[in-house]
Amino acid sequence: MAELATPADKRRLATLLSPAYLWLTLAVFLPLSAMLFFSFVTDLPQDAPDWAFTLENYGKFLENPVYGKLLWKSLKLAATVTLFCILIGYPCALVLARVIKGRAREVLFLLVILPFWSNSLVRIFSWAIVLRGNGILERTLEAILPWDIRLNLMFTTNAVVIGLVHSYLPYVILTSYLALQAIDDDIIDAARSMGAGKLTILRRLLLPLSLPGLLAGAVLVFVPVVGSFMEPRILGGRVGTYFGTVIEDQFVAVYNWPLGAALSFVLLAVVLLIFALTSPILRKAQT
Amino acid sequence: MSSVEISNVTKTFGKARALNDVTITFEDGGFFALLGPSGSGKTTLLRTIAGFSFPDSGTIRIGERNVETIPVEKRDIGMMFQNYALFPNMSVADNVGFGLRVRKVGAAEEKRRIGEALELVQLGQFANRMPHQLSGGQRQRVALARAIVTNPKVLLLDEPLSALDKTLRVDMQIELKRIQREIGITTIFVTHDQEEALTLSDRIGILRDGRLVQVGPPREVYDRPNSAFSAEFLGETNWLPEAVLPGLSLPGGGEGFRFAVRPEALGLSATRPEGVNALEARLEQRVFAGAMATCIVTVQGQPWKLIARDRDLPELPANAPVWVSWAPEDTVAVPA
Amino acid sequence: MTPRKKALILPALGRAWLALVLVFLYAPILVMAAMSFNASPFYQLPFEFSTRWYQDMAGNAQILAASLRSVGIAVATTVIATALGTAASVGLFRYDFPGKRFLQVMLFPPIAIPWLIIGTAMLVFFFAIGIGRGTPAVLIGHVALALPYVIVTVTARLSSFDVTLEEAARSLGADGWTVLRRVTIPWIAPGIVAGALFAFAVSFDQFVVSYFLAKPGDSTLPVLIYTAIRKGFTPEINAISTIIIALSMGIMFLAARKARFGGGR
Repeated sequence: MAELATPADKRRLATLLSPAYLWLTLAVFLPLSAMLFFSFVTDLPQDAPDWAFTLENYGKFLENPVYGKLLWKSLKLAATVTLFCILIGYPCALVLARVIKGRAREVLFLLVILPFWSNSLVRIFSWAIVLRGNGILERTLEAILPWDIRLNLMFTTNAVVIGLVHSYLPYVILTSYLALQAIDDDIIDAARSMGAGKLTILRRLLLPLSLPGLLAGAVLVFVPVVGSFMEPRILGGRVGTYFGTVIEDQFVAVYNWPLGAALSFVLLAVVLLIFALTSPILRKAQT
Repeated sequence: MSSVEISNVTKTFGKARALNDVTITFEDGGFFALLGPSGSGKTTLLRTIAGFSFPDSGTIRIGERNVETIPVEKRDIGMMFQNYALFPNMSVADNVGFGLRVRKVGAAEEKRRIGEALELVQLGQFANRMPHQLSGGQRQRVALARAIVTNPKVLLLDEPLSALDKTLRVDMQIELKRIQREIGITTIFVTHDQEEALTLSDRIGILRDGRLVQVGPPREVYDRPNSAFSAEFLGETNWLPEAVLPGLSLPGGGEGFRFAVRPEALGLSATRPEGVNALEARLEQRVFAGAMATCIVTVQGQPWKLIARDRDLPELPANAPVWVSWAPEDTVAVPA
Repeated sequence: MTPRKKALILPALGRAWLALVLVFLYAPILVMAAMSFNASPFYQLPFEFSTRWYQDMAGNAQILAASLRSVGIAVATTVIATALGTAASVGLFRYDFPGKRFLQVMLFPPIAIPWLIIGTAMLVFFFAIGIGRGTPAVLIGHVALALPYVIVTVTARLSSFDVTLEEAARSLGADGWTVLRRVTIPWIAPGIVAGALFAFAVSFDQFVVSYFLAKPGDSTLPVLIYTAIRKGFTPEINAISTIIIALSMGIMFLAARKARFGGGR
């Protein structure tokens, strides 16, 4: 790595870096700043010349209990989805990292993370096909089970949870797997040579050593789920009103952008709080 | 403390035969080295004794118990790994106490024995450090304390000193030997470093292609190798060409033997010395290395190596005709 | 039971669990794909093979226009994000300068902040400065979201680059640009290809940001699908969704192989 010795070096560095960072500034950082500004105005300056600064948008969030309730509902949804992702995903990562070896491991790992990069909207849509009343799932279960079954999963909170777990499960598997795979085999062998059984090894070594990875996965699930709106809309129907869908409405249906901006920033504050709370452990994972 | 008896153990991985009908007894309280080139099966043998892998056939006894189907965690062994394998999330005391906690010895007993083990390896004041705060030599000692604190029946060492630099390694060899004597534990270690094997152990076993080719005390194996492989693997050998044999005084045998001389048994002179075996040679090179010097000479067109105290060697120009000589009893006879 | 046999029970349970999870991950997608070939518009069984929804889809001008627009935006995003991202990675890797850590941290907000927030912020800002909604706005947004992925992927590849190779080239008389072109770029080529594939996938699969930035009637494929789903399921959407998922999984399969995601061998 070179120090910036000459003006030519400085020019070269600026040429390399500035296009990407100017783009990020224009498309991400200025918009976020602009939205912070808009969350404190009465009307959009380009629409209404008589706009003024106000705290009213945040006041609405505090006054109207609906927003607080919906935020709480979104947080509960995120907690539920995160919990299921951990309960389902961590054992998977454990099996991938510590039981399966060689070529099979590579292929299975790829299979697990492949959906994570495919179109999430389409995957949610596929659940709508599976879960709809008198749909594939009910018919399959009817064929297997002797009694009649009415799951009525579609347009319920359960459907939203199933769809979101499906969407975000690979995150937990990915981060936990990377953490578990990095643990030296000799450490496990050493514990066994001292008489430790599988549960002791899991509780005292694998779990604590992979905790940062597991936590990173949990954050990667929790944060987007708090702000989800497409999944509740498609799978939740009328029960699918969450904090994210209310924000969406402000921008595409109600057109109250200042309120939408304020609600977005409340959401962002929640997200930043989560990052702040977890960052000490996550930072430890990097060292 | 117990003896370990291996009988007719065979282990294959796919088509490769890692252990081929190995039979050997490790006596109670002995310090035993398994030596061999990589792929010879020495590590497989150690891991089979430990219980990380299981023999296809044959039996393993530790003390009075047949253990060949028992997994490692039930075998009551202690093991030290090449890279120490300390638990990075636990303090030194917790590392050492891990096996005691598993055995549920009780908090007071656990504390006492951790203290004792750390005293034994002279790390008493480091109990609350984390592994990443220790030097290589200190980690090594923690690994040793951790392996012996449970009073295992046998201590297994997998290339225990290879990660240390040379001076530290010699210190640790002395230390390891002292601790092994003090607690009298049956110890088996794997190494590819022949000097380490000779220094530490009271018996060594040489493996080749999954077979045990020779077992015995270090001096015996060094002085009387039973095969060309043993002779070449342990120490260096100068083979005597067939053509020169008739003029020399050789020990016993004759038919069916090959003969060699170790580099340090050879002397070098400008004129033919009396009363010893001597051969004409040409001095190719002399390499000064402080107290000792190494000479390369050509005997009957073959390069030979000679090691001697530098001050014992005569000053001779390169390419000078010389005589190499050795006492008849220093000739190593190896069954062909 | 011998202790050795007993030791095999847990791993067997684990494998079974992994198999179940794979079924959970793939079953709905496979069901959707199967239904796209079912003649009945209401997913009625028994299954009757038909390609009629694919034919309908091919005749649907809206779907075709949206597909074309999505692919176009994805290709443009890939080219721009890969070029800018690779340059930035090389700059971040080659030089030590004050503020470098800050620039690296700046890559995380576009990845970590929910797209709902970023998308609505872009909408508000683009309206304020006069870009408004439409394909240019979508493209600006997609490039910004893809850039961090490209930079992270290329930097990961660069970090395995031996700097003494550059020094060796310099000692042989090569100047800075020659070193970059003949030594550095060839080494990071696999990283660049993987980054480009990530960029394509981020753009092609992007729904949230497109949803806020695309002009109604001028939308990208995911936005069109969302609108169609909310109006009521149609089997044509099923057909195009099947094509999308096959395409994006195929691309990611290639990217993963290139990047040796998952530790490699």
